[in-house]
Amino acid sequence: MTNFRPQRQVMVAGVGLHPFGRFPEKDLASLALDAVVPALEDAGVRWQDIQVAYFGHVYYHGMSVGETALSKLGLTGVPIINVENACSSGSTAFWQAYWGIATGMFDLALAFGAEKVPRGPVTVTADDSPERYIGGDHMMAGYALRMRRYMEETGATEADIAQVAVKARDNAALNPYAHRSEQRTLAEVLESRKISDPLTLFQCCPTSEGAAAAVLCAEESLGKYGIDRARAMRVAAAVLKSGNYNGRGSDHSAFSPYRTEPAALEAYEMSGLTPGDVDLVQVHDAATIGELQQIESLHLVPFGEAWRATVDGRTALTGDIPTNTDGGLLAMGHPFGATGIRMIHETVTQLRQEAGPRQVKGAEVGLAQCSGAGDVTTVHILTK
Amino acid sequence: MLPESVDPNRLRLTNEEGSEGALLGLRCRDCATTIFGPGTFCQQCTSANLEQVELGQQGVLYSYTVVRVPPAGWPGPVPYILGQVELAEGPQVLAEIVDCTEDDLTIGMPMQLALCTVSGQDGQADKVVYKWEIGRGD
Repeated sequence: MTNFRPQRQVMVAGVGLHPFGRFPEKDLASLALDAVVPALEDAGVRWQDIQVAYFGHVYYHGMSVGETALSKLGLTGVPIINVENACSSGSTAFWQAYWGIATGMFDLALAFGAEKVPRGPVTVTADDSPERYIGGDHMMAGYALRMRRYMEETGATEADIAQVAVKARDNAALNPYAHRSEQRTLAEVLESRKISDPLTLFQCCPTSEGAAAAVLCAEESLGKYGIDRARAMRVAAAVLKSGNYNGRGSDHSAFSPYRTEPAALEAYEMSGLTPGDVDLVQVHDAATIGELQQIESLHLVPFGEAWRATVDGRTALTGDIPTNTDGGLLAMGHPFGATGIRMIHETVTQLRQEAGPRQVKGAEVGLAQCSGAGDVTTVHILTK
Repeated sequence: MLPESVDPNRLRLTNEEGSEGALLGLRCRDCATTIFGPGTFCQQCTSANLEQVELGQQGVLYSYTVVRVPPAGWPGPVPYILGQVELAEGPQVLAEIVDCTEDDLTIGMPMQLALCTVSGQDGQADKVVYKWEIGRGD
């Protein structure tokens, strides 16, 4: 548990998103800036008022890309920190911005992230790692191992699990920012080419480019910056946890399925909320099986029952646990540095009741969970 | 040039040809947790009171997948089967499963360590890589 208690309330004042997809004409800094400017405009604040900025990204595009991007807005001298925490780099940047304000160090902070993920299977280790010869470093192969084991232990079938991808595409069809917005039938998902059995292509998130940004402000300073209180959403919990030992040893740690649980329990304690209070959830569905394991680890459904909840429609927009309402990693796409903040963007949009055709009726509490290899998990809870 | 272990912290070769060897781990003298591969402190209890141990040559198949799109730099055949095997000491070891097809595999079946020599990349010595094959369960 974090020793330092929040000294004051922190609000998300504005969010911005660059569409996810492929944008060969734009460099990383340009992508990032096209999320930052809309976030500043959404919050109604000026760049020169921002007191600190955290930038999440993973792949190398030159040093200090965060500084390069923000220099286009003017050199104000504020601290700009580049954050790499694998797939949770963006949510880690958000977590740092939260705690920067909660501890009283800053009043107004920017968290943003961008990525241009190379095509092909994602690996975690360096190019000269022994893993090249061993063959175990393959993100989707890791998810496939988890999926087969989950099927063995729960009785879920490939078709049951593939329903997660059908639902993701249904949601993304309502989202103009999504990388993959064509709806897909269950048969199409199951018959798409196999990447790593039993995972098929449409059950794996695309490697994407994109950017997302959020402006955070101390509640007591909203008036000072002229921020509209009615459109600012409260951060009720901000938790980051790394590498809880899972009893299986180092070789397995990147694929440990239940690492979210301790972070979730801490987030519920910090917010005073329970799983039953959560109206909608964004989780790390890099593969279909990931979504099932995450909503179980968040205690939104009992362990081993998420596949049934999905088949029964409970995780759809109209269900009681609307999950990955914007399409998630599976259909929005997954630009690593942007993903965690994209989840914040969707949560804020839903809590503002501004999600249009994919609006979850009466949404008041939203949870965003993001995982990264290494491993690390973030859980944020936002409320109206 | 003699082949060398793909990772001397994880695989110790016991003959020059690299046809015999053992997986290496660390056992915590304080909490009895065993991990596969290198470390300085116990991952479970953080004790530094560790001893290097040779791990058993057999395990049980925890899960497996057929990798059809390989990671960059993979020097082996495609597709290949990747197996997650649990050792009696506790840790799991991910490695290619050789000498069988997917249809031969069942979760829970016994597996046996196998050492294979793989051509070195970029002018490096050939590597002896630990793999799994179906075991006899004795």
